[in-house]
Amino acid sequence: MTLIFLYTLLSGVFVAAASGLIGSFLVLRRMTLMSDALSHVALPGIALGVLFHFEPIIGGIVALFIGILLIWLIETKTKLATESVTGVLFVTALAIGSLLIPEEDLLEAFFGSVQNITLPQILIQTALAIAVITIIFAFKKRLTLFSIAPDLSASLKTSPAATQLLLLLLIAFTIAIGISFVGVLLISALSIIPAATARNLAKSFNGFVSASITIAIISLLGGLLVGNAYSLNPGIMTVLISAACFALSLLKRK
Amino acid sequence: MQQETLLQVKNLSVALDGRTVFENVFFSLKPEEVLAVIGPNGAGKSVLLKTLLGFHEPKTGSISWAPGTSYGYLPQRFHVDHYLPMTVEEFLNLKPNPRYSIEEVLKMVKIDTHWLKRNLATFSSGQLQKILLAWSIIDQPKVLLFDEPTENVDVVAQESVYDLLHHLQDTLKISIILVSHDLNVVYRYANQVLCMNHAMTCYGPPKEILTNETLSELYGDHAFFHHHHVGEEHHHRHENV
Repeated sequence: MTLIFLYTLLSGVFVAAASGLIGSFLVLRRMTLMSDALSHVALPGIALGVLFHFEPIIGGIVALFIGILLIWLIETKTKLATESVTGVLFVTALAIGSLLIPEEDLLEAFFGSVQNITLPQILIQTALAIAVITIIFAFKKRLTLFSIAPDLSASLKTSPAATQLLLLLLIAFTIAIGISFVGVLLISALSIIPAATARNLAKSFNGFVSASITIAIISLLGGLLVGNAYSLNPGIMTVLISAACFALSLLKRK
Repeated sequence: MQQETLLQVKNLSVALDGRTVFENVFFSLKPEEVLAVIGPNGAGKSVLLKTLLGFHEPKTGSISWAPGTSYGYLPQRFHVDHYLPMTVEEFLNLKPNPRYSIEEVLKMVKIDTHWLKRNLATFSSGQLQKILLAWSIIDQPKVLLFDEPTENVDVVAQESVYDLLHHLQDTLKISIILVSHDLNVVYRYANQVLCMNHAMTCYGPPKEILTNETLSELYGDHAFFHHHHVGEEHHHRHENV
């Protein structure tokens, strides 16, 4: 086991925790498919990073940031049907990104490339993961209420548009930091499957959030270790492990 | 003291998507007053309540809350996802700036403490309303805005929610703005009535305001039971149009 792999595992704990945490809000707010589609927006940014030799994660963050601003503006300022417009946006982003990225790098962008991860990348994503976790805990009550009862949340004089923007920003950062592990196509599985699994198991909200975080960490670490041991793609292994957890949770569903 | 006004609404109109929902609404709310807003479905009652809460911007007119007036809100529908993993205690803890402890609030709304550890999804809609009531008073508001559910609440549960509201009004000295579909409730609990049908058609104490004429104007002739005299003890339950 190399030192960089150890760092990768450690960083994975924080990235998975952030993903499992944000995933629980996405599941409650029924935004899971939106976040799935949003992840594709990162691709053109990653492509620019690859082409112009800067950190692809930075390109991904900028592209995601533009993506969520567009969704937010469409949701709050126009009467357009968000669902269909986001669908159009994301497929277009995927097409542009695929066109720009050199073919040999495309699979890595789609399914993750832990083997090529660099130390700066590890540092950036760990720092961002810790920031995401801290912000979610700081705004936990507000985000929770907004996710389960928007009417009650709005009656407390908190702006729903501002809370939605905060949630979208957190989603964007969580997607960006997970991409090097599981890639653009599988990224939402890292947040959605653990949260959906946790919902089958938990009876309380704290139990739900803790279970979601735990399952995300187990899946990502398991995926990295199995991938490393058997020379398989860690991103794909991560998703398969979390999917297995989900299948098991169906047996124990309350 | 008694005469200070908590809320003053003048010439209020609201338009949603360019369509006027209601216009020309004037009223005021004093401490400990119960104001019932009545009118047919789609008359703009819930929109009025939500405008007072700041969900919608007025098109014209003004809404002035007295400085420091806090309000609680009980929405018409509190949809709890069947798989929402949350206990009553966790839900009540989401309310910012609590003034009462959860135990105190449960006592006020007559909920047994063993509900605290139960999942929200296991309660009936009537029980959820009691939980919401607890939620809405935990930060000690001066005014409660209550949008009565039109459906899915059994009569017994509804009855007990009104008894509770009445009890809370007595003990906590709060004012209530109540959107109601049930004239029975209005006669029994309200000091002031505001009739709404896209505009304000009457406003005043129920005994003075609720005549056959104003009611048939509000609901349409065929909807009101003329054989029943308004003001009698055995009020007929009003049918919604």
